Amino acid sequence: MKQQNDDSSNLSNTAAIPTDIQFLRLLQIHDSAFPIGTYTQSYGMETYIQEDAIRTKEELIAFCTTFLYQNLVYGDAILIQEAHQAAKDRDIDRLLHLENLCGAIKLAKESRDASVNLGRQFIKTVSPLVEDAFFDEWKNRIAANEIKGHYAILYGIYCAVNSMDAHYAVLSYLFSSVNGLVTNAVRAVPFGQNTGVQAVHVLAEEAVAAAGIVVGLTEADISNNALGIELASMKHEYLHSRLFIS
Amino acid sequence: MVSKVARRHHNGKLDMVFEPRRGYTRMPHVFQQPPLKASRELYEGKDPTATVFVMESSGGMVAGDRNDITIRLLPESKARIIQQSALKVYRSHTGETCVQSIDVELEEDSRLEWMPEVIIPFADSKFQMETKIHLKKGATLLWGEIIAPGREMRGEVFDFTSLKSMMKIYVEEELLAFDSLRFVPDDIHLNGLGLLEEALYVGSIWLVSEKAEEIDLRAIHEAMNVGDGLRAGVTRLAGNAVHCRFLGVNQWRLQQEMKRVFSELSALI
Repeated sequence: MKQQNDDSSNLSNTAAIPTDIQFLRLLQIHDSAFPIGTYTQSYGMETYIQEDAIRTKEELIAFCTTFLYQNLVYGDAILIQEAHQAAKDRDIDRLLHLENLCGAIKLAKESRDASVNLGRQFIKTVSPLVEDAFFDEWKNRIAANEIKGHYAILYGIYCAVNSMDAHYAVLSYLFSSVNGLVTNAVRAVPFGQNTGVQAVHVLAEEAVAAAGIVVGLTEADISNNALGIELASMKHEYLHSRLFIS
Repeated sequence: MVSKVARRHHNGKLDMVFEPRRGYTRMPHVFQQPPLKASRELYEGKDPTATVFVMESSGGMVAGDRNDITIRLLPESKARIIQQSALKVYRSHTGETCVQSIDVELEEDSRLEWMPEVIIPFADSKFQMETKIHLKKGATLLWGEIIAPGREMRGEVFDFTSLKSMMKIYVEEELLAFDSLRFVPDDIHLNGLGLLEEALYVGSIWLVSEKAEEIDLRAIHEAMNVGDGLRAGVTRLAGNAVHCRFLGVNQWRLQQEMKRVFSELSALI
């Protein structure tokens, strides 16, 4: 994978550093125990595991790196960044457009459903904690079934109304996504705890580089080259025994 | 040798309108500008479906060439469009990108089938294709496409400079599916885990039909003749739509299986 160098990917000198409480809030919502069901999703990884294609730490890192750079960076991460901006602008039409786009780019049914399930769990969990009229308006649209409630869009809005910087919203999302995958692989393959820890250690650096790419992207850059993973997600529906729902 | 003489770009245009007339679908309005050309309508027995062949008389697209195709099916018309040959995209000696744009409008209860042909991006070519399909209520679509890695038999595998493909399907003005591929072989290892892996050919089928709900996708999935370098999957899109993807090592094998699935789906809708 091509990566930008450290100077250009380290945005901490341009992005607004989170306050102490914002930092802890981000830690909390990305904790694997945060009840939005991350531990039930493999996004096609389980198909690879069953086909015996993820047997080593290196293969696990390779899978997560492709998911990170080829799927998340050019998909959810752009949408989070755009939704964050739209929420700051209080631009409902733009958010509705992004919400629709978020579903349209997820061709595999299970990955699309996962995005909605996480979103619905997320709003249920955080809504008692957020006091913001704009956030409530979005919540009401989901409750009224006007929109599906995709996680990336909701998460972008949540970070915006809590004045968290878009860069940190994207960075923590990317890290927690690959961290979640590794945690699930440790259970499913299975790997030893240390293999998981070492994989996440490597992937943290990739997440930093990936977030550095996202900042220069817009809606026009949305794409998905991770066709192997997408196909695995499509095939996952028909696996005979499954630990994960995607 | 690189020619210093500026070459005029080709801008192929093809605008086709189909409508039902006296029991058959006709194509009374067609505008064509070389190198694009459409055959007249052909029929198979009593089937009212108009079959039209699309031809590219130049032999391929060269740096900066454009092809603009619009297809409009008026209510209750039925058409099948077949590309006469593979679409070749030549080396971009000027650095300019070749663009193919296809806009399709399917009105109420119309039906369009676009048979998959292969797009072959030669070494050092730049190609961008954008397909937009708008469907009204009751319209049926079956669409296929195949992307090759280059002239594989000559050892050209992912030697093109860039290939961008965008497919957007709208039903009643709502975006249902958006497939966007950006293959820039200098930037990404397309054979990496989770990308194409050992596959060289990418095939896609798109189906929109009011009968989509009734299709047993598990049966389609289980009947797929995979293995031996071919992988395939089928999934339900939002609304009345289905998507199949094929990743294959061998072109002939992928094409044969895609044609089989295409016919199988065609018979169900």
